[in-house]
Amino acid sequence: MAPDAIVLSDATTADGYLLVLAIIFPVIGILLTLAFGGRYVERIALVLLLAGLVVAIAIFAAVLRDDQSLVYIVGNWKPPLGIALRADGVSAAMMLTIAVIICAIGLYARGEFGQSQATVPTRASYAFWVLLLAIWSGLNAMAVGADLFNLYVALELLTFAAVPLVCLKGYEETIKAALRYMLFALLGSVLYLLGIALIYGAYGTLDIALLSDRVRPEPIAWIAAALMTAGLLAKTALFPLHLWLPPAHAGAPPPGSAVLSALVVKGSFILIVRLWFDAMPGLLSFAAAQLLAALGAGAILFGSVLALRQARLKLLIAYSTIAQIGYLFFIFPLASGDSASTPWSSIAWTGGWLQLFSHAFAKAAMFMAAGLIAEAVGHDQIADLRGIGRALPVTIFAFGLAGLSLMGVPPSGGFVAKWMLLSATVMEGQWWWAVVMLVGGLLAGGYVFMVLGKALSSTTPPVLRVSIPRHSEVLVLAVALCAVLLGLVPLQPSEFLTIGRPDIHTTALQ
Amino acid sequence: MNAEMLLVLTLALPLVTLAGCLSRQFRRHVAVLLVVAPLPALATACLLADGSTVVLPPALLGLTLVLDRPGAMLLGAAALLWITAGAYAGRRFRGNPDGARFAVWWLMTLTGNLGAFLAADMVGFYLFFTLASLAAYGLVVFDGSPEAKRAAAIYVGLAVFGEALLLMAFVLMATATPDSSLLIGDAVASFATSPWRDYAMAFLILAFGLKIGLFPFHVWMPLTYSAAPIPAAAVLSGSAVKVGVIGLIRFLPFEIPMHNWGEVLVIAGLFSTFYGVAIGITQANPKTVLAYSSVSQMGLLAAVLGMGLSAGEKSAALVAAFSATFHVLVKGGLFLAIGVATPTKRGVWLVFVPAVVLALGLGGLPLTGGALAKLASKPLMGQGIVGVLATLSAIGSTLLMLHFLRRMWSSTTQSEARASLLPWLATALVAIVLPWILYSVVTDEPLRDAMLPKEIWEALWPVLLGSLASLALWRWGRLLPRLPAGDVIAADKGLVRLADASGAAMEKIDRYLREWPVATALLVGLATLLSVSASLGR
Repeated sequence: MAPDAIVLSDATTADGYLLVLAIIFPVIGILLTLAFGGRYVERIALVLLLAGLVVAIAIFAAVLRDDQSLVYIVGNWKPPLGIALRADGVSAAMMLTIAVIICAIGLYARGEFGQSQATVPTRASYAFWVLLLAIWSGLNAMAVGADLFNLYVALELLTFAAVPLVCLKGYEETIKAALRYMLFALLGSVLYLLGIALIYGAYGTLDIALLSDRVRPEPIAWIAAALMTAGLLAKTALFPLHLWLPPAHAGAPPPGSAVLSALVVKGSFILIVRLWFDAMPGLLSFAAAQLLAALGAGAILFGSVLALRQARLKLLIAYSTIAQIGYLFFIFPLASGDSASTPWSSIAWTGGWLQLFSHAFAKAAMFMAAGLIAEAVGHDQIADLRGIGRALPVTIFAFGLAGLSLMGVPPSGGFVAKWMLLSATVMEGQWWWAVVMLVGGLLAGGYVFMVLGKALSSTTPPVLRVSIPRHSEVLVLAVALCAVLLGLVPLQPSEFLTIGRPDIHTTALQ
Repeated sequence: MNAEMLLVLTLALPLVTLAGCLSRQFRRHVAVLLVVAPLPALATACLLADGSTVVLPPALLGLTLVLDRPGAMLLGAAALLWITAGAYAGRRFRGNPDGARFAVWWLMTLTGNLGAFLAADMVGFYLFFTLASLAAYGLVVFDGSPEAKRAAAIYVGLAVFGEALLLMAFVLMATATPDSSLLIGDAVASFATSPWRDYAMAFLILAFGLKIGLFPFHVWMPLTYSAAPIPAAAVLSGSAVKVGVIGLIRFLPFEIPMHNWGEVLVIAGLFSTFYGVAIGITQANPKTVLAYSSVSQMGLLAAVLGMGLSAGEKSAALVAAFSATFHVLVKGGLFLAIGVATPTKRGVWLVFVPAVVLALGLGGLPLTGGALAKLASKPLMGQGIVGVLATLSAIGSTLLMLHFLRRMWSSTTQSEARASLLPWLATALVAIVLPWILYSVVTDEPLRDAMLPKEIWEALWPVLLGSLASLALWRWGRLLPRLPAGDVIAADKGLVRLADASGAAMEKIDRYLREWPVATALLVGLATLLSVSASLGR
């Protein structure tokens, strides 16, 4: 209860208001569309996307300049009474990634959900813009939340905005898929809520900074952490809890798939990291970390093999997402080891986050490319995509670049991430994860070349139903290039991702 | 023009040409430019001093490019081959709508290939190594025939596998290197203290062994070289494969003797040497025969490097680079010769006579580059069993190359139309002359020694024996079994079936796991497991 135990979020910093803007800008957008009706929904959304991007850049710049977290204490009520928002280096980088991808998806979606004049939009296009803004708000709130209940609210906002995105087309099977997603995500929510109830009962706070001091290794904490994590894993679609992900992607519109795969599943992952590394650092036992990584390893192997066996391009990419999520979970055993003084100064910490960022860009680009292909030829059967490379060279090039990042071929963020995680396995002496990563890269090579081989074969290209505007193709390429640009990150633990992290890893356990 | 600019231009020109392909107008004429793109590389190799260095800015990954002596020799020969083969390809693809597609893959492979000879840091080397390997996929699959597709699929699978091994090797080396330096020199020096030394060596040898086609990783070679168009086969067999050789030269710690690993390389290399001959003489397609000759020759190179490694003999790097340089031009040249071989009178004089000299040069015909290379590597191979086997391999090489010449003679009808003789003749000429220029640089011995009667006889008798064996092969060759190209990989049908079955099984498991009762039970089970594992403590 001692106030001096609060080491992190003590006062609002100079640019702290930016964090509020990041969350409420999308909300303002939603309110405006309600006020003005759907007539201007696309324009309102696009203006706010731009504003949100500026805010995200400003947050990133402020954290970089001040070399410390941005903090905003809502209403000046200090935790545990009030609500704190905090953006450390990881959050700032995360928010920038989110902003860039959401903006790209917004521009991309103008083709599918755009309005040519200020006409009343269809139900689907109105819903799309509102949901996109809601997802963004939820993601930003996830990135800056500093207490487990706020994070829960953000998580629910995210889930309830993401679920309808799956069934925008309104076909029976998409509604089934959405229900499947919602039910399973709700199961996850229940477990998470149970966990925070236990925590609150035992420790009297849900503020992460306070908890890190109070949580003791005892049964109640173990059970609470396990319940919350299991719930979040369900939302992250980590193998073997991925039942909702493939059907959700099968019928979702391409921009929806892109946002779902690139960003939404990462939201709950951030929370798992916050939970184990920030809120309850002493609880991350060797066995728990190994268990989480083992699930990740299963995801890599199963996801990749199943990706190889898909007949539809979208499902191939969806299974590839399941595989790529697996790599993220190597952060638990590899960053919590003894090779660095704190988890954040370890190379696995940087590698894990880079994997998240580069996968987000690569996967968004892949789903966008798949969307253009499907739009052009009217289907996405891989077997019938022979010669598509001639019809849509830029799109296939973008797909290839994104694929190379997934394989871990330089220069790409995927390569840097893989190099770092592999280095971490060497330093920690946990070579078994290296084996899985290398096999995963091999299988990724298999499914990427399966598509590229078909697309680049010399047969006459399929007849295009509609021609694809050049700017859409260039947009996809730009997103793929972001994944490539991440390859310029030096192969060392990143200083930026340690900003705002506590200096000493408080280990309650001996 | 200063050294740094020239080094940068070596890679920049192919890249700029590649970027130009974005323009439709440029694409139409790009086939003609294939000759021009490698020119700066040639200039770099000829003009720049040993040790010229350039460090690129961070926006270009902070790559370090260095021209050292082995790199310069290989870069020069490779650039020459890329120029002549580029001329051949340019003529073949002029006005062909597929030309641009070919040129794009060609230029990417070229960039990777040249870059690997210059890269002085691990990231750069890995980047160029990967670029050369993966872009070659497009060259192999170019024809679009079922054989080409199968060859390309097997090739790319093994290439990606090799890259995974190499990545692990580099990560192990980088982790052991102090000050987080990524320079190859620092990483190799750290072998002395690295706790992961043996693992790193194992991964290195596997990765580069795969690239140079050591048994049993040679299977991709006969398939790809047979399937690729002639100019592509020329640069892949001549030049691209040397990325593996330069890799071994750069990364093997010759200053820290490693007896065991040296022996591994020697045994694997010598086995490949004889294996390549044994399978090669059963092949009918001249391209396949040349591919098996590559397996054999690269095996011999690996043996030379292995001897150097186990003795801690630094000169092995230069000697191996010298042999490899000769091989670049001979192997690339002979592929070009297949394209222009005609049984007419002109064909005999302009194709077959130089081809005989080059081909027998691989067997060590006196006064050819092959004889000089064998002479240069003699001190390394020693007088023992390895030296004897190396000499015997010359008999095998002669036999195999005579078999090749005969197959080329009898399958000349397949030669591609409109091909030009000039690229072939230029390559052959350089292959004959260049070794004489480089010999004294490499060995510090006067050239006169190479012309002593004793040396000439020592080089000649294996060639004579090989020729005799070749007569026997001619007479009784039909008794040999006809093995499929790629020999052991012919068993891939079984592998495919196995992979398919396990994939189907995983699919079934996945479907089961995604059923509601199962998934819900897993959720609860995982929560339990997690709380138990959290309770176990650190």
